[in-house]
Amino acid sequence: MSSHETFLDPVLLARISDLPLLARTVVDGFMHGLHRSAKKGLSLDFAEHRRYQPGDDLRRIDWKAYARTDRLYVKEYEADTNAGVLFALDVSGSMDYASGAVNKFAYARMLVAALAWLTQRQGDRVGLATFSDRLVEMIPPSTRHLQLLFHALGRAKPTGEGKLPLAIDHVADVATRPGIVVLVTDCYDEPAALSRSVGALRARGHDVLLFHVLDAAEEDFPFDAAAVFEDGESGLRLPLRPEELKERYQTMWRAHRAALETRFTAAGVDYIPVRTDEPLDRALHAYLDRRLARSRVR
Amino acid sequence: MGLGFLVPAFLAGLAALAIPLLMHLRDRNEETPTRFPSLMFLVRLPIRTSDRRKVTDWPLLLLRALAIAVLVLAFSRPFFGRTAAASAEGRARNVVLLLDRSMSMGYEGNWAAAQDSARAVLASLGADDQVALVLFDEEAELARPWTRDKATVRAIVDVTTPVSRGTRFGAALRVGRSALVSAPVGAAEFVLVTDLQRSGLAGVAGLELPAGLPMRVAQVAAATRPNTSLRAVEARRVVAGTRVRLQVIARLVTRELAAPRSARLTLRIAGREVAARTATLQPNGELAVVFDAIPAPASAVDGQVTIDADRLPADDRFYFTLPADDGLTVLLVVPDDLARDETLYLERALAIGRAPAVRVERRRTGTLDAASLERAALVLLWDVAPPTGAAGTTLTRWISEGGGMVIAAGPRLGARRGAALDAVAGVNGIADRRAGGGAMLGDVREEHPLFTPFRASAAALVAPRFYRYPRLEPAVGADVLARFDDGAPALIERKSGDGRVILLAMALDAREGDFPLQPAFLPLMRRLVLYGAGHESTPLWRTTGESWAPREARREPVVAAPDGAIIRPEGAGRGATLILGQVGVYSAYEQRVDGAPRTRVAVNAPAAESELVSADARELLLGVGESADSTLRGVEAATTSEIESRQRAWRWLVLLAAFLLAAETLIASHGWRGRARRATVVQPEGSKG
Repeated sequence: MSSHETFLDPVLLARISDLPLLARTVVDGFMHGLHRSAKKGLSLDFAEHRRYQPGDDLRRIDWKAYARTDRLYVKEYEADTNAGVLFALDVSGSMDYASGAVNKFAYARMLVAALAWLTQRQGDRVGLATFSDRLVEMIPPSTRHLQLLFHALGRAKPTGEGKLPLAIDHVADVATRPGIVVLVTDCYDEPAALSRSVGALRARGHDVLLFHVLDAAEEDFPFDAAAVFEDGESGLRLPLRPEELKERYQTMWRAHRAALETRFTAAGVDYIPVRTDEPLDRALHAYLDRRLARSRVR
Repeated sequence: MGLGFLVPAFLAGLAALAIPLLMHLRDRNEETPTRFPSLMFLVRLPIRTSDRRKVTDWPLLLLRALAIAVLVLAFSRPFFGRTAAASAEGRARNVVLLLDRSMSMGYEGNWAAAQDSARAVLASLGADDQVALVLFDEEAELARPWTRDKATVRAIVDVTTPVSRGTRFGAALRVGRSALVSAPVGAAEFVLVTDLQRSGLAGVAGLELPAGLPMRVAQVAAATRPNTSLRAVEARRVVAGTRVRLQVIARLVTRELAAPRSARLTLRIAGREVAARTATLQPNGELAVVFDAIPAPASAVDGQVTIDADRLPADDRFYFTLPADDGLTVLLVVPDDLARDETLYLERALAIGRAPAVRVERRRTGTLDAASLERAALVLLWDVAPPTGAAGTTLTRWISEGGGMVIAAGPRLGARRGAALDAVAGVNGIADRRAGGGAMLGDVREEHPLFTPFRASAAALVAPRFYRYPRLEPAVGADVLARFDDGAPALIERKSGDGRVILLAMALDAREGDFPLQPAFLPLMRRLVLYGAGHESTPLWRTTGESWAPREARREPVVAAPDGAIIRPEGAGRGATLILGQVGVYSAYEQRVDGAPRTRVAVNAPAAESELVSADARELLLGVGESADSTLRGVEAATTSEIESRQRAWRWLVLLAAFLLAAETLIASHGWRGRARRATVVQPEGSKG
């Protein structure tokens, strides 16, 4: 594991209780690795030169280039759109689960904290909505709300039942100004209902990224002894013989994943599954790609 | 030959076989379920819920059930062959006959049945069999040591009657056990003839009897025994106007009466009926009967309350005594320079009370002598130091013999910086608090008997203000009962032999404070005199079995028992005590039974003896252990080794149980069972976010 990957290892990051520090650690580590990668950086202000055209702002003329070439060039920059990014975090009971070292909710919280830090560094506005079967807490996007966001993340506890489509509808209601909505959830609901709600977000002009937080046990279902299983949200208990159900469960799970991916893609939503045993950089890359695509305005 | 059990009660433990069965039927993970984010997929799958109530691991269940069964059998101590009792056949029998003669055996029909049972036991013995008779109530006595002469024992049984005392099976079994030490060779056996009163079981636990000793219990009481009993009497002198009257309240308890009935209660004082009441008794309950107040004699009152006799007459009479109200004499020792009316408030306060009345005799310092002390209850030193020399020695001896002294320290004693006051405290000058409006009491030991009148109104004690008071330094062993708000002791007590010395720094006249003008003054002064004089509430009655020291007879007490017997208590002088064994009134005299007694005490049977509830014979034996004492010849020579060899099986059973449990541990923790246990989801620390 290279040094920057160390900073992105969720197992190590989960030991950091200070969310701002954690977010900074993640982003710094990520950016350090980014410089050595082939990917284009985000913090470049200057983009390119273009010939001066009447009507251009005289203050943007590159006088040094004029001295060298005797032609008027105008400096072009990456436009700072000051986009509002609303992170919507699922705090239902199903997020409180870990088969390994990192809890789903802890992972999701680290992800949101890191993305928020990264977003703030870009000068974008950050906001947070936490939801379960309703909207639990809402912090509207603002350039001054990062610390507030960290505090809210620190307070959040995964509990209760989740009604994802309904909660997303609520998020859509409160996020009136078009921007980026980053949903972080474990998607325990019907794909059709989910895609309808996310589609409503898209219809309001939001760019939507959906991070599907997964635990390895949810995919693999590694149980073999007869046991009573308890639903993390409703508390429902079922006596089961997992060895008899494993195959059928995995089939249903894969179908669910496939349905989610198909429907979200169709709805124009970036669907990004992330597993709690994976480093955070894949999620960060996905987010940056999406952010860059939106911000490149000439 | 056959299978028997030494402790068959343990076979009830076989019910524990249900535990492994229930555990196997119950899903073992129900208590700690496996948590999973969502069961939305799993609920759609067909689930055979009926599987939950099926035993899925028969081998393990059978192994566990077998281990429990073997363990229970081991504790039941199985033995093979003849029973211990049967083994005595052909050998001489040594029977310890334990006959209960406690008060409850006097219940109608009980005693006749008990005598019949005892006679039947004697009749069943052969010519070579021997018997020892133990009569017991609270105490037990070996009424007849080992003998073949059953007629003598029968004669004792015939003439014995129940006594008004409690029951203690522990005492009986101990005496019976000690009788075994001198038992002749043969098969020993205990036969207990009793009503098995439950209150008598106390003290049985921890008792050891020889292993294998057979005990037969002849229970002679009926299942239901209606009874009315007098449990307590309250008697006190009350002041009504100018007269002192005697108020008596009797408390009685009824149990298992067939129907409510009326009963007549009679109050007798000095053998003469003085009042009567009729009360309606409920089948089960408690009742307080208040007699009309009667003129109270000033002398000691010797009384009894009786109720119409029922089937247990012994608890239908209740004795009590009330000490004489002959007043207390306080010797008030005043200084030569006593100001006019300086002790006015104190003397007026003490003169007010009645029952007992307090008489104050003024004395000058140096006039205390043995004769005046002899009739005094308390010496109160008014701002004077205790006498020294011969008078001091006399006073000290008088206090140690039970007298009381109060030193009211004022400005005169306060001026004697460095003086020691009778080993209670030293004087360290005078505190002058006039500038701040006076001191008040800040720390009062309210639980002390001296402050009994103020328990409901503690605020009364902080109202008085004290302008000047001596600063006292308590001596080692002295007890500070109250302090001023600056922490200086205000009231100190020191015990001295049987008496006590109380030192007051609180001004008792109105010049140095306003205490005499406050409501707390009068009750505290009166309480101070009563407590200092040792005039504490004497119990109206005691119960049989208690020890009693007739302290009023100081030199050579002689006691007349209720049956007229003359008893000289063991011990010398005030330490002489005797055990109260009879119901009635004991009278103590000085040196010889002549004239008026110095003191009296009424004695009644323990109230628990009137609770006619029988225990089970097995309950009696539950707390009795087994002894391997080889000196108990009657048992040892007969069957100990035989019984031991026959019930050796329990050791093998314990070993087998241990083996089965070890096998269970191995089987349950290895193979697929072990894997099944370990396959649980780990919730990491701090996983709740």
